[in-house]
Formats: sequence, C-alpha cells, structure tokens
Amino acid sequence: MKMKYTDIGIVAVFYVICALFFAETQKLPVESQMYPKVIVIILFGLTTLYLIQMIVNAVKFGTESGKSSFKDFQPKQFFVCLALTVLYVAAVLTIGFFVSTAVFLVVTLLFFKVKPLYIAITTVALLLLIYGAFTLFLHVQLPNNLLF
Amino acid sequence: MLQTLATMGQGFLHALTPINLIMMIAGVALGIVIGCMPGLSAAMGVALMLPLTFTMQQDTALIVLGAIYCGAIFGGSISAILIHTPGTPASAATAIEGYEMTKRGQAGKALFTACYASFWGGLLSCISLYFFAPLLAELTLKFQSAEYFWLSIFGLTIIAGVAGKSLLKGLMSGALGLLLSTIGSDPGSGIPRFMLFGNSYFYDGINVTCALIGLFSMSQVFILAEKKIKERAQASKVTDKMSLTREERKTIRPTILRSWIIGNLIGILPGAGASIACFLGYNTSKQFSKHKEMFGKGSIEGVAGSEAANNAVTGGSLIPTLTLGIPGESVTAILMGGLIMKGLQPGRMLFNEENAIVTYTFFAGFVLVQFFMLGIGLLGCRGFAQISRLSDAILIPCVTVLCVVGSYAINRLPEDVIVMLVFGVLGYLMRKLDLNTAAIVLALILGPIGEKNLQNAMIISDGSPKILFSSVICWVLIALCVVGILSPIFMAKMEKKAETDAVADTNVDIEKLTEEDLV
Repeated sequence: MKMKYTDIGIVAVFYVICALFFAETQKLPVESQMYPKVIVIILFGLTTLYLIQMIVNAVKFGTESGKSSFKDFQPKQFFVCLALTVLYVAAVLTIGFFVSTAVFLVVTLLFFKVKPLYIAITTVALLLLIYGAFTLFLHVQLPNNLLF
Repeated sequence: MLQTLATMGQGFLHALTPINLIMMIAGVALGIVIGCMPGLSAAMGVALMLPLTFTMQQDTALIVLGAIYCGAIFGGSISAILIHTPGTPASAATAIEGYEMTKRGQAGKALFTACYASFWGGLLSCISLYFFAPLLAELTLKFQSAEYFWLSIFGLTIIAGVAGKSLLKGLMSGALGLLLSTIGSDPGSGIPRFMLFGNSYFYDGINVTCALIGLFSMSQVFILAEKKIKERAQASKVTDKMSLTREERKTIRPTILRSWIIGNLIGILPGAGASIACFLGYNTSKQFSKHKEMFGKGSIEGVAGSEAANNAVTGGSLIPTLTLGIPGESVTAILMGGLIMKGLQPGRMLFNEENAIVTYTFFAGFVLVQFFMLGIGLLGCRGFAQISRLSDAILIPCVTVLCVVGSYAINRLPEDVIVMLVFGVLGYLMRKLDLNTAAIVLALILGPIGEKNLQNAMIISDGSPKILFSSVICWVLIALCVVGILSPIFMAKMEKKAETDAVADTNVDIEKLTEEDLV
C-alpha cells in the first residue's frame, strides 16, 4: 500500500496533541498525572509505529497524494454549507431557535436550488415537528433570546 | 427460575402498555425511514434520536432506540430492492438478488421476502437474547475492580475490530478517544484535568451524547454536502402481489434458520456487524440452495438469506452490550451510551431485582418490535420507497437542524451545541482520512469505566499492580484482549471472501454498491 501524503498531516497533528496533553499533564498534581500520562505515551507510541509503517510503505510501494479521498469534492458547496451551519449555530444561541431555523432552512434550500413549494413545505413541516416533539412533548425550552 | 419467568411475564405486560406500543410503532416507522434513505445509517438515526428519549421512562426509551435500530436495519432493503441502492451497508447483499427480482416484475415478492425473513431473523434472535443475556450477566458476579478494568480494556481492543482499513489508525483513534475521555475531573481525587480554556463546563467531561451526534450525524451532513447533489433513481413500481406461495415459504424456511444462526453469532462477536452477516447469510443460502442457477437472476433464497442474517444481528449484538458492557459496533455503542445516560449500568445490575423489570420490558419490547416491523414494512413499503428518493439537498439542512436541537435538548446548554459541531467537523475529517469515529465513541464510553476500576483496584491493593493479574478471569480477559487486537485481520479476510463469493456469479459491482451509495 502506497504512503499517502495526507497521512503526514495526521501524524503531525497527533504529535501536537501528544505534546499539548503531556505539557498540561505536567501541571497536574502527581497523583493525577499517571493515567493521562500513560495514555499520552500509548498514543505517542502508536503514532510513531504508524510513522514507521508510512516510511516502509513509501520505500516499498512509493507515494500518492491521498486526494482520492476527496474526489468529487465540491468546494463551493461544502464551504458554503459549513459556513451556513456555523452561522446557524451562532444565530440559534443569540437570536432564537425558531427564527434562526426558518431562515437557515430557507437560505440553505435556496442555495441548493430546491423548488419554492418544497422549501415552504420542508420549513413548515420541520418547524412544526420540532415544536410538537421538543416544546410540547418533551417540554424543552428552546433558545429564544432576542426573537421567538 | 420461576422468579425469572415471572419477571419475563411482567416485562411483556409492561411492554404492552399503550405508550410503549405507540413508541414501538413510531420507532419502527422512523427507523425504516432512516434505513431506506441512502446516506443515512442506523447509527446516525439512533444517535440523532437519543435526546428525544431523555424525558421518557427507562424501558420506553430503550424500546424506542431498539425499534429504530431494527427498523433501520430492515429499511435498507426497501431501497436496495426498488432503486438498487442499499439504504444501509447491511442490505448490500439484498440489492444483488432483490433488484434482479424487481427487474423481472417481482418487486412485491422481493419486498415480502425481505419483510418475512427480517421478521423471523429478528424474532429468533430474541430467543438467544432471552437465553444468553442473563447467563452471561451471572458470570459478571465474579468480577471485581481488576476484572472490570480488563473487561473495559477488552472492550477497547474491539476498537481494533472496527478499525476499518488500518489497524494502527483504528488504535490511534481509540487512544485519542481515551485521551479525550480524561478531560474533566479525576474520578478518584476530583481534581480538574485539561479544562479547555478554563471552562467549568468540562468538569464532568465531554458530553458523550453530543459527541455521538456530532461524530455520526453531523459528520454525515458534511459528507453529503461535499458531493454533487444527484437526483435519485425513480423507485420501481410494485406491480405484482406482495406475498409468497406455500412452496416458496417452505423453500426459504431452512435459509432463514441458517441465517439466524449466522447473524446471531456475528452479532455476539465483537467487531463484526450486520454488513458482514448479510454477505455470509447470502453466501450460505447460495451454497445450500437447490436452485443455484437462480442466484444473480433474482433468487428469493438470496434475499431471505441476507435479510434474516442482518436482522438476526440485532438481538445477538445486544448480548455483549447489555451483559458485559462491550458494544461490538457503532449502533450498540450508542445504545449503551443511552443505557448509561438513563442510569443503567450494563452487567449484573441490569438483572437484579431493581432493574430486571426494565430489562425484561426492553426484551419484550424487542420481540413486539419485530411484529410491528413486519406489519409496517408490508403495509408501508410502497410509501417508504418514495421517501427513499428524498434529495440530499433537503436532507442536509433538515439533519443539521435536528443535530442542533437534539444536542441542545440534553442539558439546555449552548456549549453542548458547540461540542456537537466540533465533533461533527472532527468526525468528517476522521472519516475522510480513514481514522475511526466508532473507536472514539467506544473510548469515550469505556475510558472512564476503565480508569475508575483501575483506581479502585489500586486502592484495594495499596498500589500494587499485582492485583491486575491475580485471578484466572483476569488472565482469560488478557487473552481475549490479544484476540481482540488480532481479530480484525481475520474479520477483514472473512468479509472480503464473503463479498467476493457473493458477487462471483453476478454482474454486480460490489465496490460501487458499498462505497458510492453507502455510509
């Protein structure tokens, strides 16, 4: 199996995580250090084993970009969805659940070029479902900070 | 014995209360909808619905989750048969014969066979659940802290079993999950550890339900969002009668029995799941069939073999989860998370006087769920087939909203929503980079249990690690840990062989079925 370049990033991130947790562990009282330290060492060991396996694979079979995992990736669609989701979460917690949800659904469905009739049905149906299930049935007070 | 039988009877009476029956119907219907939609999985459905069960009674909550699980495993067969796209990996083998039958104008017969075989597979798996679960739970009476520590380590080695393409990456994911499980207070001293940004929210550790919703449901939204939105194929019309002749029922009876045994054993085996069982069930039906020539051209035995096996996994997989606290796959890991959140600890505690009624109500509910699955499946599969065509463009925002509202509803804390979103992004990246999200979940659940029992064992032995090797059970569990680490090598070979054998005489591109259409 060829070594993927994306795996270099994985190994780097895992080493950074090990370093961060190890540094934080040092700040703990001695009696609380043992268990997390052992886990950090195990993770460090496994990451190093994986690094060795990567090097062996690179020597034996060569390398590849690892981009195959992202074939058919639609950057515009993905990042717009991600941004809308982050904005939606922020809006739910600041503006209020129902208004933010209605706006999020309409904007996202418009972005996906869904027909207006389906947008209306989806938005109304989902809001009613959530109101029925969470507010009426479970008695969950959903965020309603600035608006409903 | 009589006491147990009486509790079992009481369990049935409790399961038959109106609220439980309504929840069974709702759970099965929801599960079938989730299962029949390519892109949504059983694990995702159960994770998403977990918060809805928080205010329910313990038994009702477990019944709902079990109903969604069973419904989703069966639901995958509807789209597999009618649009040649398995809703879940567990129905990949069903698509081979089921769609061939549809092409021959026998869609009704294929759907009926799938319903009928799923029903019997699921129902028979309940027998082993009733029989083996209490026996295995009895075994845990001999367990002390040291044994429980090794048991949780054994559970963690299952991570290797669900590791996917790379054993090392699976273990790395598990170790990362263990590290994340140390965030929060030390179970022994109560000293806060790794409180991110000094936030006291993390004092109780990472909220496992939010992590589950993020890793399984939110990450799936991102997976759907990265691909071009495609129109799904039109569901084929069901023109024939949905039934089987007496002769046909007689033909598939031995197939169902064989697949039940296969599915049950696969379910009990940690690390193996419904996707392996469906291929093994399909292959075995082919081996024993008197009409081998029909395979690849639309064989009812093929559909029955695959569907009975994948549904027989459900009852089997609950045995190690409920008795030993070892979930062998993602769905049972989520179910176990739900169990713990409802204040129930897997093991002998589930069968003691206080909790036995809840456990047996759940078991009885699991039996009744199979009947509802049969009824709803037969009556509604034409409608479900239309739902399975729902575009990803609509699914993406809807699932996002459900993830947000679900994670908020748990504790009504804004931080929970943020944790869910962070785990959603983490889950997406992990899945794209061949790391394992199920391993993180298992580690988040089992890590604290292992740590607590290790600390208890050390206190009992005045800090001597010898206690960890002091009993025969400890050594048996250590041996099982080694087997657990090595098992994926055999599992991978078994799955590959089963897949190759299944498509040997057909024109189906299994890689295409399992990678492009499945989650």
